[in-house]
Amino acid sequence: MGAHISIPMYQRAVPQRYRLVGQRCLKCGKVNFPPKAVCKYCNAGFEFEEVTLSGRGTVYSYTIIAGGGAPPEFAEQAHCQGSYPVVVVELEEGPRVIAQLVDPPPAGITIGMPVRAVFRKIYEEEGVIRYGFKFRPA
Amino acid sequence: MSISVVSYGVYLPFLRLGREEYVNALGRCSADIKEKTVMDVDEDTMTMAVEAARKAVAGLDLERVGVLTLASTSYPYQEKVMAGTIVEALGLRKNILTGHHGSSTLAGTEAFLSAAGLLVGSGEKYALVIVSDAPVAGASAEMEHSFGAAACAFVLAADEQGLELEGFYSYVTESLGLRFRPAGEKELRDIGVRTYSSQAYNEMVGAAVKGLLNKLGQKPAGYRHVILHQNDVRTTVALAKKLGFGDEQIQEGLVYGQVGDTGACSPLLGLCRVLEKTVPGDKILVGSYGAGGGSQALSFKLNCRLPGRSESFQVLLEDKKYISYTHYLKLKRSI
Repeated sequence: MGAHISIPMYQRAVPQRYRLVGQRCLKCGKVNFPPKAVCKYCNAGFEFEEVTLSGRGTVYSYTIIAGGGAPPEFAEQAHCQGSYPVVVVELEEGPRVIAQLVDPPPAGITIGMPVRAVFRKIYEEEGVIRYGFKFRPA
Repeated sequence: MSISVVSYGVYLPFLRLGREEYVNALGRCSADIKEKTVMDVDEDTMTMAVEAARKAVAGLDLERVGVLTLASTSYPYQEKVMAGTIVEALGLRKNILTGHHGSSTLAGTEAFLSAAGLLVGSGEKYALVIVSDAPVAGASAEMEHSFGAAACAFVLAADEQGLELEGFYSYVTESLGLRFRPAGEKELRDIGVRTYSSQAYNEMVGAAVKGLLNKLGQKPAGYRHVILHQNDVRTTVALAKKLGFGDEQIQEGLVYGQVGDTGACSPLLGLCRVLEKTVPGDKILVGSYGAGGGSQALSFKLNCRLPGRSESFQVLLEDKKYISYTHYLKLKRSI
């Protein structure tokens, strides 16, 4: 079973999914992404300023999802590509995020490899295209 | 009020299908391409639009963008405000005038001219024009062999130096049976008579270009580059020559051989390529075409150099991965 995300729930996260809008804690200065009610770094700050992240970062870790292991919303993609890489990216502003990597280098993915965010279709459900970010070698 | 392009951006998908893939699989390739661009499984005309637009607006004060026009013959939805996706993806102002153009490959220059008009009418400072296209036909259709994918975006400014729009001329008439798609269908059709389609192209593009030259009192020799719509390169080059342009004016703007037929993008993608080779004082003539049919000719003059871009057109052409015809059919959801 895939993790079903309802359309209204996806809609609420559009700014962060489409252009990486995060928040800077006014107490400790750290950047939270995705946005939180209380800062996950100082556990005290609850006031934030909005920041749009650059999308630049480096690969912190990665894995390859084989065709059979893909959740149902990614089945069509797995059918086309066979397998696809998923990376944990450490963004230059600090947060670590998980996303797919597109156009991986022929020599393979390496830890520390620079990447940048790109705008892609993540999957389609109920006839609605869910757009969001993936990463690409920079 | 003057309207000028002050920056632009281009996006080409990473995947390419070479001509020999068609020859190996089908015995022939009906398009005179070397290779063409192909969208990956997670791309569509909106994702390409966002990538091209992000390059075009880099460094721009987004609060001053008050107009957004889009063009594509192949939007991912038949009904929906597509500009909403762009506004959120780029973080544009929500008080923005929008225009969606489609239904023929004329859409690209239509979106360009309507953005210029809205800019004049509204008193806003900047307009963003995004043209993103990827025509689709069935795997058994001859015309499909040439179909590529690309996006380009332009920032237009009121009363600012750049690539100034000097004038334009439009020509529209009834023209049946050429590159059409009945309501509800996904794949393009054509009666497939090449001389008939070339005649229509020559009539309309020829009339628009001649009309513009007359209107502005210009001669072909006054232009550094001419870029006409390319859905087959022989017809394009033959018409440009017949109109009085020489090889050195025509060659730089020919992008068809490396990207294929990019629909509404075609002449504007050529414009993006020649802009790298243009110096202040140069004039450029662009002629679009839409089957059914019509053409719009636009005359530009470069007043000052446009900001440099991080990737040249050549770099984009070389950043690629070749796929097999079988993989291409999977991406087309044909198998």
